[in-house]
Amino acid sequence: MTSKMLQFVSTGKAMPNKRKAENRVADFDEIYDEFDVTSAEQQAGRCSQCGVPFCQINCPLHNNIPDWLMLTAEGRLEEAYRLSSQTNNMPEICGRICPQDRLCEGSCVIEKGFESVTIGAVEKHITETAFEQGWVKPVSPSVERAESVGIIGAGPAGMAAAEMLRQKGYQVTIYDRYDRAGGLLIYGIPGFKLEKHVVERRQKLLEDGGVTFKLNTDIGVDVSFEEIRAAHDAVLVATGVYKARDIAAPGVGLGGIVPALDYLTASNRKSLGDEVPLFDCGALNAEGKDVVVIGGGDTAMDCVRTAIRQKAKSVSCLYRRDRANMPGSQREVANAEEEGVEFKWLSAPQAFIGETDVRAVQAQRIHLGQPDATGRQVPQVIEGSSHELPADLVIKALGFDPEDMPKMFGHDDLTVTKWGTLTINWQTMMTSLPGVFAAGDIVRGASLVVWGVRDGRDAAEQIDQWIVAGATSAVASAASA
Amino acid sequence: MSNNHLKSVFESSTYLARRKRNEALLSDAGVYGPAFEHDACGVGFVASIDGKPRRAVVDAAIEALQAIWHRGAVDADGMTGDGAGIHIEIPRDFFIEHIARTGHDDDGGRLAVGMVFLPRTDFDAQERCRCIVEQEILADGHSIYGWRQVPVDVTALGDKASATRPEIEQIMFSMPADLSEADAERSLYVVRRRIEKAVIAELISDFYICSLSSRSIIYKGMFLAEQVTAFFPDLNDQRFVSSFAVYHQRYSTNTMPTWKLAQPFRVLAHNGEINTIRGNQNWMTCHEDRMASDMFGDAVEDLKPVIAKGSSDSAALDAVFELMCHGGRDLPMVKTMMIPEAVDVSADSDLAKLYAYCNAVMEPWDGPAAIAAYANDWVIGGMDRNGLRPMRYTVTSDGLLIAGSETGMVVVPDTRVVERGRLGPGEMIGVNLASGELLKDRDLKQAMIKRRDWGKWIGRSRQMDSILAKSSGKTPDRIPAADARRRQFMAGWTMEDMELILQPMAETGKEAVGSMGDDTPLAVLSNRYRGLHHFFRQNFSQVTNPPIDSLRERHVMTLRTRLGNLGNILDEAAEQCDHLLLQSPMLTVPEWAAMSAYLGKSAALIDCTFDVDVEDGSDSFTEALGRIAMEAEEAVRSGCEHVMLSDRATSHTRAPLPMILATGAVHSHLVRQQLRTFASVNVATGECLDVHHFAVLIGVGATTVNAYVAEEAIAERHERGLLPKLTLPEAVANYRKAVEDGLLKIMSKMGISVLSSYRGGYNFEALGLSRSLVAQFFPPMTSRVSGLGLTGIAARVTEMHHEAYASEDIYLPVGGFFRYRRSGERHAFDGQIIHAMQNACDTGSYESWKKYSRMVNEQGPVNLRDLLDFKTGGTSVAIENVQSITSIRQRLVSPGISLGALSPEAHETLSVAMNRIGAKSDSGEGGEDPARFRLRENGDNASSAIKQIASGRFGVTAEYLNNCKEIEIKVAQGAKPGEGGQLPGIKVNALIARLRHSTPGVTLISPPPHHDIYSIEDLAQLIYDLKQINPDAKVCVKLVASTGIGTIAAGVAKAKADTILVSGHGGGTGASPQSSIKHAGLPWEMGLSEVHQVLTMNDLRSKVVLRTDGGLKTGRDVVMAAMLGADEYGIGTSALIAMGCIMVRQCHSNTCPVGVCTQRDDLRAKFEGTPEKVVQLFTHIAEEVREILASLGFTSLEQIIGRTDLLSQVSRGDAALDDLDLNPILVQVEGGDAGVSARDMPRTEVPDTLDALMVEDASTALEHGAKMQLSYNVENTQRAIGTRLSSHIVRRFGMTGLREDHISVRLRGSAGQSMGAFATQGLRLDVIGDANDYVGKGLSGGTIVVRPSAAASFIAHENTIIGNTVLYGATSGKLFAAGQAGERFCVRNSGATAIVEGAGTNACEYMTGGTVVILGEVGNNFGAGMTGGMAFIYDAAGSFIDCANPDSLEINRISSAHWAAKLKALVIEHQRQTDSALASRLLNEWDTELPKFWQVVPTEIVPMLEHPISDDHTGDGAAESA
Repeated sequence: MTSKMLQFVSTGKAMPNKRKAENRVADFDEIYDEFDVTSAEQQAGRCSQCGVPFCQINCPLHNNIPDWLMLTAEGRLEEAYRLSSQTNNMPEICGRICPQDRLCEGSCVIEKGFESVTIGAVEKHITETAFEQGWVKPVSPSVERAESVGIIGAGPAGMAAAEMLRQKGYQVTIYDRYDRAGGLLIYGIPGFKLEKHVVERRQKLLEDGGVTFKLNTDIGVDVSFEEIRAAHDAVLVATGVYKARDIAAPGVGLGGIVPALDYLTASNRKSLGDEVPLFDCGALNAEGKDVVVIGGGDTAMDCVRTAIRQKAKSVSCLYRRDRANMPGSQREVANAEEEGVEFKWLSAPQAFIGETDVRAVQAQRIHLGQPDATGRQVPQVIEGSSHELPADLVIKALGFDPEDMPKMFGHDDLTVTKWGTLTINWQTMMTSLPGVFAAGDIVRGASLVVWGVRDGRDAAEQIDQWIVAGATSAVASAASA
Repeated sequence: MSNNHLKSVFESSTYLARRKRNEALLSDAGVYGPAFEHDACGVGFVASIDGKPRRAVVDAAIEALQAIWHRGAVDADGMTGDGAGIHIEIPRDFFIEHIARTGHDDDGGRLAVGMVFLPRTDFDAQERCRCIVEQEILADGHSIYGWRQVPVDVTALGDKASATRPEIEQIMFSMPADLSEADAERSLYVVRRRIEKAVIAELISDFYICSLSSRSIIYKGMFLAEQVTAFFPDLNDQRFVSSFAVYHQRYSTNTMPTWKLAQPFRVLAHNGEINTIRGNQNWMTCHEDRMASDMFGDAVEDLKPVIAKGSSDSAALDAVFELMCHGGRDLPMVKTMMIPEAVDVSADSDLAKLYAYCNAVMEPWDGPAAIAAYANDWVIGGMDRNGLRPMRYTVTSDGLLIAGSETGMVVVPDTRVVERGRLGPGEMIGVNLASGELLKDRDLKQAMIKRRDWGKWIGRSRQMDSILAKSSGKTPDRIPAADARRRQFMAGWTMEDMELILQPMAETGKEAVGSMGDDTPLAVLSNRYRGLHHFFRQNFSQVTNPPIDSLRERHVMTLRTRLGNLGNILDEAAEQCDHLLLQSPMLTVPEWAAMSAYLGKSAALIDCTFDVDVEDGSDSFTEALGRIAMEAEEAVRSGCEHVMLSDRATSHTRAPLPMILATGAVHSHLVRQQLRTFASVNVATGECLDVHHFAVLIGVGATTVNAYVAEEAIAERHERGLLPKLTLPEAVANYRKAVEDGLLKIMSKMGISVLSSYRGGYNFEALGLSRSLVAQFFPPMTSRVSGLGLTGIAARVTEMHHEAYASEDIYLPVGGFFRYRRSGERHAFDGQIIHAMQNACDTGSYESWKKYSRMVNEQGPVNLRDLLDFKTGGTSVAIENVQSITSIRQRLVSPGISLGALSPEAHETLSVAMNRIGAKSDSGEGGEDPARFRLRENGDNASSAIKQIASGRFGVTAEYLNNCKEIEIKVAQGAKPGEGGQLPGIKVNALIARLRHSTPGVTLISPPPHHDIYSIEDLAQLIYDLKQINPDAKVCVKLVASTGIGTIAAGVAKAKADTILVSGHGGGTGASPQSSIKHAGLPWEMGLSEVHQVLTMNDLRSKVVLRTDGGLKTGRDVVMAAMLGADEYGIGTSALIAMGCIMVRQCHSNTCPVGVCTQRDDLRAKFEGTPEKVVQLFTHIAEEVREILASLGFTSLEQIIGRTDLLSQVSRGDAALDDLDLNPILVQVEGGDAGVSARDMPRTEVPDTLDALMVEDASTALEHGAKMQLSYNVENTQRAIGTRLSSHIVRRFGMTGLREDHISVRLRGSAGQSMGAFATQGLRLDVIGDANDYVGKGLSGGTIVVRPSAAASFIAHENTIIGNTVLYGATSGKLFAAGQAGERFCVRNSGATAIVEGAGTNACEYMTGGTVVILGEVGNNFGAGMTGGMAFIYDAAGSFIDCANPDSLEINRISSAHWAAKLKALVIEHQRQTDSALASRLLNEWDTELPKFWQVVPTEIVPMLEHPISDDHTGDGAAESA
């Protein structure tokens, strides 16, 4: 066994072929090719098979990474898929969009000096092979249960929970206000990171497994929250967070200053062939424009790279900290730079200049001071460093906050935290309302897809326990009555 | 004077009372018992070859006893010996005189005398004993003359011996004159057994009959050997004449003087230890069922039990010897049967057939044994199969045969010597006193071979091979995949088991190797399902007996299994050979099927599953156990000879009983019903996967094992293409080979060679199993802390069954037992804990440390100590008043991790850090760069304060040993106790090779035992040697926790060790078989507490420092260890983690990605550890210790050492357990000497040897460097001559500061053991006479010459001149000996040049360097595991090729002028140094003799030689057919 493993001492790290920047900016297709079988095996064989696998420890899903790497290296992909799918409901998606450099690969013990094992790419290879080979099957519960669960939100958390609950035999309905399932996977993340057919494939699998999707259903508008509660034995709220954070600066109301998600959704819809008037009129199209994106997270990275593909005249990214301190993935920054994005580190917008539409961003230079209580260095403005950046499209990618959930759902007893996220008991995943559970960004605030999957799985487990306990106590009370 | 002082305070009655209470206390706790006692000793005999009695025989024996005191031990009181004695003929004249004094006349009958120990202080009991003795003698028809009080001089005794002294009397009586001697002796044997049983029935202790005979008498007692005549003045009486004398000096690990355990016993005196004693005793009980003999008739019942309860191994051996001798076999045959030599009994030789018969009768009694025995006109000396004890003999011109543990014990001038020889492995020498013949081994065996047509008898056995060949070839259907997976799931198998354990076995035929220690919870503390085999910890041998190398010494081991009922051991008949013979106990599926078909109705198949659907599952589980035992009984009673237990019937309604439990139930039930010898017990089990599981099944009584699900899994993997290039039968054969090699390894750990003696021997410690369960199903085992019982097991098995059938698709869980997985077993070091600790050490933040230690404390129980807590309630003290961090840190140790495992950077970082805080680091095995012995420019000291000396002796030179404060003898290692090691060639780079005196790239092997420690007195000798080579250093002995370790530790303390280290099972390793890491050894908590208590009880605790290690992590652990008795605390894995280790657990792969445990340059560059981080770790721990001490109200660690009363058990583990009771480890003996710390005391000194004088006489040379010549007479009691002098030389002049022969010492006589040990360059020792074992041990450049005197009349090269294990671990220097060497010549030599004229078995084993010339025959297994150096053998007899172990060797005739010239030069030098007649002759006839030489070169180094081995460059011209 080991003869195929521990090869990091002699085999260098290699990613799947990445398309050349000049080619890939011409379309919205994914930028990485697939590993061929040989290189997947070789790269998987670089794993050190650690006694304490930090990759697994630091993976929110605790994927059994060393094990499926070993199976891949030995050419046992079917087993690898089975193992990988035991802990993850959408490994092909995580393999594509997880910031591995901050999770598994960033924890890989050979990272220091040998560069980590290409875990994400192997994960994608395993699952894509599984799809090709027909190993991926819809869930088929061995027993059907009468109880039903309603899930609000068809994003990663909702879909993961749906699959787990269906596996246990529950009747599952997913509601989503959008016309497509997938949440941010479908409209938030650009196709060059995650092609849309990948998301649709998962939706279809769930449908084939007996999960009902009710799309275009906005809770609180099209149907009341109480109706949903009444219709199901338990409800999972997995709506995500959609309220864009804004910036307080002079001129922020000018035309041409748009929220990131509007911009990305327009682009994604366009790629999916939808009619998008705001794009067609140019309001959400970067073509020929000087684009400035404000923010340093993964959403900002998605925006700048989308703008490049829309053939912007120039694209720059303004972020108040430096490269080392940005929250987004380093790998994405590198990709963006290759594609022609200019990063303005340690810069913060001071004002937006223009008449009706924005013409330029006035920015200031920043100095990073002493670390604060959280350990992050505090940004301090350098006096007299104001300068102007030309801009006719400014995209605000400053993060997301929850919408006003109690108001939306018309239920004041649904309690929220000071950040607006739903309060839950982390042991039971239940909100303040009995039988109403919550998972994903609406609980944690904007976070990673992989955390959404994890929460969805945890919530499914808790919902099952709650329903089973309820049934047992119902029987017990019926018996005693 | 000091003795008088002691006497004045010694109060014998209070001592005895306290001692008895303490013994009872500890034996209840399971940590002390007579069965734990080990002894070893000096032994020997003298015989008059013509069989005529003479005084000279008795005188010689007394003289010999006075020259073996150093092989015995002295108690803490400085006077009490462990026992000595002498067995001689009854001097008739002497007793007739005494009979006359009683007022009787000699009635002309056969005079018989009983030597009896009576209770001394209880007169009532004394009188009752006398009555019983008289009654039984009279009842047998003899007439009594009377009792004689034997005169003794009690001033020759120590206090304790005196306090326990029995009343010693002789009963003299007359037997009918017409009784033959043999009949008389047999009837007296029966009489004695009746007396013994009658006394036991009256509940009288302290009664013992040394001898009851009409022929011979035994004088023995608890005095030092040299006091034998002082204590028994009788022996000085010149009328004591005898044709033989067997004598013995005992060294016991325990110190309670036990008079009856002094030797000789009735037949034999034994030096060594019976490793198979547990199996032998159990089987003896079974044999008793069928024992019958015309000679005994009905009296045979009086002989049972043959082995008295509480017998030592030697006493048990003697009891069976005695039975067999009286049963009609002569003494040489009994020895041959019970202590056979290592012969492949399947071979087609007469000798093989003789042994095949012996095998069919009785399981061998296996273990180190040199015996001297007397019975039925025979006096013999005999040796075990491995030749693990010395026995030298001299035949004199006046007709005496003098044999014993050492040469020179009886001084015989060379002119009177006819022959000087030695006994090789399995050999005997004997004198038939009736016929007056001296018979050598070959003669004795020829006589036995001729006695019967053994070949014809053996021909009645059936071989498995033939049955398999004849079978129809029909094998059971394959198990469907899903069904197989369910069975695997139920057995707790995981994907990890399949990939990490099963796959390598099937693919390569080898067991998987892992590294680092076991940090998972003990099975009983785990909250997951753990197979029952996890509750059995493998036993292993340490100190008192050696483990065996099952790879390099495979020829002494066998797995042969005979199937069928066992016969009457007293019989000698052809029917005893009616067996089915298997090559091993492992049966494949086709073999099981073929065997079942062959056995037909003689086999009964018993279903070992139970119904899970019954309302209360546990009931049906217990009922099923009862049912299978009953079914087995009924089957056997109705005539079945084979019980076949199987769990194949497992289904969705029936779950398998754990097969270990089922086997135990059937085996123990059949034993209780006295039916076990009537049937074999065969098991087919789905749960069995790994080697350890097989070992447990066989250990609890299974005859054969068939692991059909494992085989199914192999078949399934084969189908999937996971075993490419193999056919399925090949893959199964690989698996079988791995299992068989693994079984051999597990047996070899115990020093057991033969499977039949291992089977049913319960060589395990039950850890975490309910006491009552163990008592019921595994009766001879003990389970100290109790734990999981039947109910719990039933619940767990049922639950696993339920889960296995819960869904349609069942997949194995991913695992996590060997390597951490989130969903698997807990590990004490998980990712968060590693990070937290590294953070605390990197930043130095004590807050971070507390966070870390909280995480450790809250992670759930992993170790026994996690169930304990400190008792609160004391008044806390201010932390300022507690001893300083500095002084606490000095008690911390970084344990031995070799350079070779660790990178040089990591190894030096540890040493520097520990030296900075005034604490000790341990070099580990593998030497240390001498450059590190000097301070660095910045003042740092990278020299380890403790230098380890392990079995490989790598890099152990005089210089190394002189650069330390302490020398640690590593007897065992926690991760693989009882096993050796191997440093693969890839890790041997230039530096490692230089330090280990070997060749880069060539594999280095550490043997399982120290070849100079086969026994406790050998350990004492090594300690003596080390205290000579370093006059300042303390000596530490590292042991691993096991049952009985307390008793061993007492022996070690008596061997004058200063420190005893008790390692836990969790200790780390650079590479070990996974089954050893996981299943051998006990937690240190158990070992430490046992050692502390037993030492305290024996007044030895204050003489040693106790240290412990094995998974200590926090201040809390240190305080726990202190309360359990430790003075010092080793912290290994944590220290590695502080330096950057992240538990990748690939140490064995040389791919450590953080540069800690690798020798690759690119990876070493990744090392980021610093001494500061290590210092920080130890500082944090010390700070935490202070906090805890303050909170408990103590100001120093000293105050709490051994204070188990400060601990209480706060958790009793899982609710499903019957009980988990840690009281046995919290037990405290009363009184004793605890509270005195040996840490601050100087080391325990050893007596001076000749060197005291030599150093004085050589002062001119030592002070001014002038050349000198000295001359002395020597005796065998003067040991380690030249060693202390070498210490002076190396300290003054360094390793090469003096030229060769600068100080020349001439010695006349027989030099004691370890002559020239660690002798350095500049010293020449020139012995005229002979020398004992261990000549030139660790030779470091000195020259040693041994030759007979010119006046000797014998032919030098036909005689033995130096003993066993010569030049063990030598690194440089020269040895010339004009005569033969004993066994294990030049083992682990890495640089010395040696020439001898013949050698015993295992010569040049594990050799890695140097040149050896042997001008004569060698014994078996020459050059096993030899990976370096070169040997030349003069093979006039043409026998060499048969004796060599060719696995790693190229053996050629000499065909290179270069090497021929080199050889000739060496022979010339040998002739010049020794005047060897043989060398002279060879040189005269050189051209005709040269072709009779062989050149032996290890294959691995052939390409690296400076000169090719052949001048014929065209190719392989050197090879000549052998």
